[in-house]
Formats: sequence, C-alpha cells, structure tokens
Amino acid sequence: MAAPLVLVVLVAVTVRAALFRSSLAAFISERVEVSSPLNAWKRVVEGLALLDLGVSPYSGAVFHETPLIIYLFHFLIEYAELVFMITDVLTAVALYLAIQEFNKVVFKKQKLLIKLDKYAPDVAELIQTPMEMHYIPLKVALCYLLNPYTVMSCVAKSTCAINNTVIAFFILATIKGSAFLSTLFLALATYQSLYPLTLFAPALLYLLQRQFIPIKLKSESFQLYTMQYGALYLCNLGVIVCLSFFLLNSWDFIPSVYGFILSVPDLTPNIGLFWYFFAEMFEHFSLFFVCVFQINVFFYTIPLAIKLKEHPVFFMFVQMAIISIFKSYPTVGDVALYMAFLPVWNHLYRFLRNTFILSCVLIVCSLLFPVLWHLWIYAGSANSNFYYAITLTFNVGQILLVSDYFYAFLRREYYLTHGLHLTRPDGTEAMLVLK
Amino acid sequence: MAATESGASWVRAAATLLLGCCGAALTSSVQDQAEQFFRSGHTNNWAVLVCTSRFWFNYRHVANTLSVYRSVKRLGIPDSHIVLMLADDMACNPRNPKPATVFSHKNMELNVYGDDVEVDYRSYEVTVENFLRVLTGRIPPSTPRSKRLLSDDRSNILIYMTGHGGNGFLKFQDSEEITNVELADAFEQMWQKRRYNELLFIIDTCQGASMYERFYSPNIMALASSQVGEDSLSHQPDLAIGVHLMDRYTFYVLEFLEEIHPASQTNMNDLFQVCPKSLCVSTPGHRTDLFRRDPQSVLITDFFGSVRKVEITRETISLDRDIPGFESKLPKDELATEPLKYAEQLPVAQIIHQKPKQKDWHPPGGFILGLWALIIIVFFKAYGIKHMKHVF
Repeated sequence: MAAPLVLVVLVAVTVRAALFRSSLAAFISERVEVSSPLNAWKRVVEGLALLDLGVSPYSGAVFHETPLIIYLFHFLIEYAELVFMITDVLTAVALYLAIQEFNKVVFKKQKLLIKLDKYAPDVAELIQTPMEMHYIPLKVALCYLLNPYTVMSCVAKSTCAINNTVIAFFILATIKGSAFLSTLFLALATYQSLYPLTLFAPALLYLLQRQFIPIKLKSESFQLYTMQYGALYLCNLGVIVCLSFFLLNSWDFIPSVYGFILSVPDLTPNIGLFWYFFAEMFEHFSLFFVCVFQINVFFYTIPLAIKLKEHPVFFMFVQMAIISIFKSYPTVGDVALYMAFLPVWNHLYRFLRNTFILSCVLIVCSLLFPVLWHLWIYAGSANSNFYYAITLTFNVGQILLVSDYFYAFLRREYYLTHGLHLTRPDGTEAMLVLK
Repeated sequence: MAATESGASWVRAAATLLLGCCGAALTSSVQDQAEQFFRSGHTNNWAVLVCTSRFWFNYRHVANTLSVYRSVKRLGIPDSHIVLMLADDMACNPRNPKPATVFSHKNMELNVYGDDVEVDYRSYEVTVENFLRVLTGRIPPSTPRSKRLLSDDRSNILIYMTGHGGNGFLKFQDSEEITNVELADAFEQMWQKRRYNELLFIIDTCQGASMYERFYSPNIMALASSQVGEDSLSHQPDLAIGVHLMDRYTFYVLEFLEEIHPASQTNMNDLFQVCPKSLCVSTPGHRTDLFRRDPQSVLITDFFGSVRKVEITRETISLDRDIPGFESKLPKDELATEPLKYAEQLPVAQIIHQKPKQKDWHPPGGFILGLWALIIIVFFKAYGIKHMKHVF
C-alpha cells in the first residue's frame, strides 16, 4: 500500500507548495479561524526575533509557544514551509500506520468474538470484512492530507500542525502497544497544549485491553498497570518541563503557555466558544466562568470512559473531537485531526442519521466564516453577534457529528449482541432509542 | 565781502546741519516706524468662531457667533481665513418668523446674516473631534481648504466659542463635551507645531473662566464672560422672534467692536473693561499671564482685524538684526537645542547592503546535550540495544 500513499503525499505536497507560492498564503495566514494567539506563525517569528534582541520571548503577551518550539525553529526558521509540509506528511504517515495496526486489532477481536459466539446470528451484514477495511488507512491519510482545513492550516504555518503530529505519533505508539512511547508522546502533546491530558484515559484503557488486563477498579493488575503508566507519563512530563527550563533558564514559559491556555486573556475572535462570553462578561464573574468552561473540556472523560471502556479508540476519537470543540483557542487544524478519523467508522454509515444536515452545516459555516468576518470588521454592517452565531452553529454541527457517530456506534454494538431485528417481549418490532 | 562770505558759509553750514538734523530726525522717525512695523510679530490673522449649541432656543449663540464673524470680516479678515462653525441653522429654521435673517439687536436693528456668510462647519459637523482637528491641523487629506486652519507661526488667531458650558467643560451639540484640559492640550499641540504666533481666546458661556484655567502654552490671552460659579446671561428677548437674541457679554463686545475701524489704536485693556458687572451681571474675566507682550501694547486689530501694514516711503531703511523691541519669541532653553531635521525615514544604505540576520541567541549547550541524550535514550529504549551495532 505504499505506492498509493506516496501518490497521495505527492499530491498533498504539490497542493501546499502551490498555495505557498500564491498570494493566498498571506490572506490565509491572517484568518482568525486558522491561526489563534497560541499557534500563529507571526508570533513564533516575533518570539524568535525578541530572543535575538536579548529579551525573553515570554515578556509581554505575544509569544505563547513552548521552549521546544523555540529550539526547533531557531534552526529551521528559513525552511519553515518545508517543515510544515513535512509535519503534515509525518502526521498522515503516522495515522496511516496507526489505522493499519488498529484494523488488525479490530479484526482479531471480531474473530475472537465470533468464535466465542458473542454475536447474534443475523448480524452478518454488520461484520467488518478485510476487503472493506483494506483501504481505510489510505482513506484516513487522504482525509487528513487533502482536507481543506489541514491545507489552510499548513499554508498559514500554524504550529497546530506540529501539535497534530505529536498527537498522531501518540496514537500510533498507543495502538502499536508501546507504553513508554505512548506516554512520551502524550507528555509531549500535553506539554504543547494542555488538553491532550484527557487522552490519558483512552490510551490507558487501550493498553490495558492489549495486555488483557480486565478493567475492574479493585483488580490489582489494573491498579499496578495504571500506576506504572501514570508514573511513566508524569516522569516524561517532568523531564520535558525541566528540560525546557534549561533552554532559557527561567520558568517564564509556564504562565505564558499554560496560564494563557487556562485563563484565556486574549479574546480575539476564533471558531471557539470562549471569546464572546468573556468579552461581555463582568470582571468579577470571569474567574468562575473560566473554571466552568475549562472543566467542560475535562468533564466528559470519566462518563465516556465508563461507557466506552470496551472501545478505547473510539473513545479517543470522541475525546479528540471534544477537545477541539471546547478548547480555549481552537482552530480548523484541530478539527481536521479528528475528521481524519471518520473513514475508520465507515461501517457506521447506515446508522448515521444526520449526515445531510451535518455536512450542510459544516460546509456552510466554513464558507460563512470569512463572509461574516468581512461584514463585521471591514464593511461594518454586521457585528460580533453575527460571527459568533456562525461559530456557535459550527460548534453545534461538530457536537452533532460527535453525538451522531456516538449513537451510531452504540447502536451497532447493541445490534451486534442483540441481533438486527429487535423484538419486544410480545413479538412486535422494537425501535432502539438513545435515552 | 568777507563777512558776508563767512556769514554765507556759516549759514550754509547751519543749513546743512539743520538739514542733516532734519534728515536724521526723519530717518529716525522712519526707523521708528520701521520698528513699529515689526512690533507685533504677526503677518496674518485667522479666526475660528464656534457656536456649539443647536435648537431654536439657542438662537442667541448663533447670533453671538455671527456678530463676531461680522465684526471680524468688517475689520479685514477674509473668509478664507475664517473657520466658522455653526451647530444649527437659525436663519432658515422653520421656526424663524423672519427667514434668512439672524438679528442681534431687538427691533430687528442689526441683521448679522446677510448673503455673504460663509459657514465652514455646519450642523452635525460641529463636533469636538472636528474642532480639535481644525485647531491641531490633523485633518484627513480630503478636507477642503475652507475647512482648514492653515495658520503658521506668524499667525495671530482669534478663537471665539459660545454655547452652554459648565465648570471645566463646554457642551457640543447636546451630546458631547470638550473639557478645559483637552482645549489646553490642543493649544499646546498648536504651539509645538508652530501653528500660531499669538492666540486670543474668547468664550461666552456659563462659568467660562474655567475653560481658560488650564492653558499652559505661551502667547495665549483669554477672555471669558463669567467666572467659575457664575452664569452668563442673555441680553434681550425679541417678542416678534420669540427668543433671546444675544448674550450680554457678546452684545457689549459687539457694541465695542462697532467702534473699531482698521486703523484704531485701541488696545486690549479696553476690551477687558467691556461689560462690567453692572451691565453684564456676571463678572467677565481675563488671563494674560501666558502672554508675552503687555496687553496695553496689544491692539484690538492685532486679533480682530487683518491689518496689513503698508507704509509707502522713499527712504531706505536698513533692516538690521538688533531692532529693539523685537525680542526673540522662543524661550532661551528652546534655542539651545540643535536645529530640527528630518529623521531618516528610509535607510536606503541599510536596505541595499543587507547583511544576513545575525542570530544572536543560541540555545545553551546543556540544553542541547540533554535533549539529544534523551532522544537517544528513547530511541534505544523503544527499539532495543541491538540496533546499536548498526549505528557504530
């Protein structure tokens, strides 16, 4: 399968190179949907320039990148475009390999469950076959590389691409089963932007499954493994943070990066939910609401972990979607990452109920973002409410997508164990409803 | 014959002496006149007349401004040098029983409107922002000349403001205010940009003296119609038109100005005496501490008129530098600074010979070492020691 992947990679690289050379590059890199205060390229350049002038880049509220990014771009700043293209390619390749491995795991598990007669007799059409699963990795890579969101994110040189690469490597390491590498990349991902911390739970669940350790709270092996994993993760995180200290000999980066992510001081409009609320809020409520909004991101982990403990990779997908909806400075690059996973759940297509409205909402909102921005900022005939309405609709669309897939997944699982034709005790046909 | 010859020579000598004296006297009088020529220091006059109130019942403010406009025009300042700002149209107001007129005297004695009134800022254009932009010259490039105050450092400017005011502010258009601090800062900007030689500021509002309290720029003389805590009162209502036509202070100032003609030698001290408390009910105030010259020597026409001094003489006058009475207008410490020159806007030399950017910052050695050591450890941990032999 290498050849088609190489072809896809070449096409993607060509598209990006063409866009880099065109005049659209400047326009795209200024769009607020693509670059946020956390990952804008301008800010990286500014931070490095400040460093050259002998000033800490974290003084002032310009630069919110981690020291490792400083280190990386200190040497690679002239080749920035190449770097971003390579990161995109790396992400796609990592996702490709991860999904290939995941397919094998799914297939093995399916075979096991069929052998164990856990499936109802009439669900033959729901079983995934290797034929249809063969092209899924390629589709995932395609979906990531040629997604307009990813292309725009790359052309804007937003460091979101680097975050995506780290998360992709984390997924690859987790699915391959290596706890050490998985904690390493998770620590890196958490270090870059705080929210991948929530991916700790699905990764742990997956690795537990892989080791055939039953997920019971009282079980000793469970606790031992959890402790090991947690300790590895914390050690890695600690090592990376301490190493960052030695770059600039100061702890300045902690309030500048993590304090900035958590306290949301910059209210530039973006595709997220934070800016509008905090722009109109009174000072004395803002602490409370910041806490509420931030808890919202981390809150869904435990219930989802309880519900999806048999299906950790789906849990990872849902968690990534939740991160990219509820994080403090989302961009379309974050959206592109979880959308790359959609081909993996192709078999859920027959259970999805809102595909038409979803696709309409997402496409129309993406097109309306620049229109309403122009109307608000340049023409002056709209105001922030218009733009926020589109932001809200876009996020509602994403939530609808996640919940749709969640429902479809659960429904399929139910049908697999209980058969396709559900009957009530008295024999009449029954409908499955999500309560 | 010798006596007459000596007598004649004596007479001739006396005559020459006399002629010489006369000539000397004449040249010295011409010299004096030449001195006088340069005494005031200004070469052109501007007037900024602002009425800040709208609505029909503020007729008197428009009438105030138009009266001053009329006097100033009569005394020689042309329309091109007058910026007239009227916040409302009284002449063509639907409530005006005598359309196209604005009277300043009851019984319709004096129509200050006429058909040669050139209003530069009318109606809603009279805002604090526009007023400050006019004063400081920070005007968008598309503004026409008639709306600009194109004064220079040899201009004497008369600024007359009227309307409703309070302690420290003047109300514009019933929706915004200009404060005395803003006004003082605007004048300081004008001074720093050398936009005036001398400035006469007259304000006819309630508590008008508060508006000139904060001035700190040199060469400003200020007059106000009332002190802080007092109200300026209006003069006479006209029963036919139905509103008060003028404010007291400006009424008496107008009366005073009607007697001035371009060659008057009346000075500022007389203007300070206009409208005593008995006539005006409020106490007019004035401020001259920032003004360099003695108000006694300041002519009314220095500000209210545009007097071009033209003297025809057949004498030759030598314009030597040290004409007495013409002291330098700049304070001594300002003279000590280096002459002004433009900062280099575009360092062409730097752009043409652009050196590659110096990377002044390098990551510390310990960091690089630590990072790469960690990367190697991770690599070998993940892939096993057996790969070592392939590396080495």
